[in-house]
Amino acid sequence: MALLPLCHRDEIPDGAARGFLPLPEALRRVIVVRRGQRLDAYMDSCPHYTGGTPMAWRRDAYLNGDGTHLACHAHCALFDIDTGDCVSGPCLGRKLTRVTLTEDQVGYLSVPAHVAGCAARKE
Amino acid sequence: MRIIGPDYLVFGVDDLEGAKTYLQDFGLKPVQLDATGWLYEALDGTGVVIRHRDDPRLPAPLPTKNMLRQQVFGVEDAATLDVIEAEMSKDRRVNRLADGAIEFQDVLGFELRFQITTRRELNMPAEKINAPGAPAQRGPNELGVWDGMPALPRSLSHVVLFVPDIDKMVEFYTRRLGFVITDILTGAGPFLRPAANDDHHTHFFIRTPAYMQGCEHLAFHMGGPTELMVAGDRFTRKGYQSFWGPGRHKFGSNWFWYFNSPLGVHFEYDADMDKHDDAWVAREAPNGPEASQMFLLQWREKWAPGGGPEGGPKG
Repeated sequence: MALLPLCHRDEIPDGAARGFLPLPEALRRVIVVRRGQRLDAYMDSCPHYTGGTPMAWRRDAYLNGDGTHLACHAHCALFDIDTGDCVSGPCLGRKLTRVTLTEDQVGYLSVPAHVAGCAARKE
Repeated sequence: MRIIGPDYLVFGVDDLEGAKTYLQDFGLKPVQLDATGWLYEALDGTGVVIRHRDDPRLPAPLPTKNMLRQQVFGVEDAATLDVIEAEMSKDRRVNRLADGAIEFQDVLGFELRFQITTRRELNMPAEKINAPGAPAQRGPNELGVWDGMPALPRSLSHVVLFVPDIDKMVEFYTRRLGFVITDILTGAGPFLRPAANDDHHTHFFIRTPAYMQGCEHLAFHMGGPTELMVAGDRFTRKGYQSFWGPGRHKFGSNWFWYFNSPLGVHFEYDADMDKHDDAWVAREAPNGPEASQMFLLQWREKWAPGGGPEGGPKG
């Protein structure tokens, strides 16, 4: 499976999220959240509307003010960081699209190449 | 009933420092109200008030996670406040404050406050254009654009609400508060303007489930489409996230550009909205991409064509 590099895990501060374009022409960023050693990755694509919309209010500003949830700053939707489930807001009952992270022996992270052409929510 | 429109909107936020940075970068000027509250104002003094969501000075929150706490409406005169107080007192509690303003909840529980407007009268030109066949608006040597040109929000234009019961809301705002429906997007809801404002809309209601009740976006009038583009381009370059636009709406004819915000609502730059009077007959169109806009564009990095092909023959 072809992989696209994102970053080194140390480039994501503990307790923070960052967004990466897997290719310059990719449709959506990939969000990576780091908590301790744990990393979770999702498409930057709120499931409120078909096709999905970008969620940050400023570059890398994906968490709510308390840092407890991923948030879509379009309409206040909150998502569980462990599961991607929407727990409050317009897309209640829907979830973020999880992205499989691959980490090499020295901590460099990459994602499957297909996510570069993916806007996440189709239907 | 001489209601002009929103003087400001009050939000209880979870990221106060982020919200302050955002509002300032959007182009609003901070005015500290007290130890824990800030008004971010447009050029005419209308704007947004923010406090931390736990601040006891805030009105009660909505049952949803939406951060809107209160809409503060400006009216022309004290007589209007008296009329609204008398009308609302028929079936709900109305608080008369020391400064003469009145507070109550609307039919769906949105907190409202009405006051004699605090907005300042603006006296500045609209964007000027030149076109063949029409007298020049910019005279000889008067430039249309320049680096560093001002592009600041002039006035709070409108607020859009997610509402679980459109019929109740429309009945309340038209019959009880004298708003007029200017156009309707079927499937979403109506655009409304109050009696003392000739803008196409100060309010737009969108039908949603109850768990979404709250503010969808608010918008500020700019001096014209160029100012809107310049402000949106500068905001994008600071790292803020565009949501929709730039483009131009059909109903209202206003140019638009929406951005995500830490207040959990969209902030919109708008420009050049239609004006209406009571002779206008409301139009209706099915909500969707076709009815929503005349055209839609998307921001990109600056680029320019050169001469010959890159890496091609020199000279």
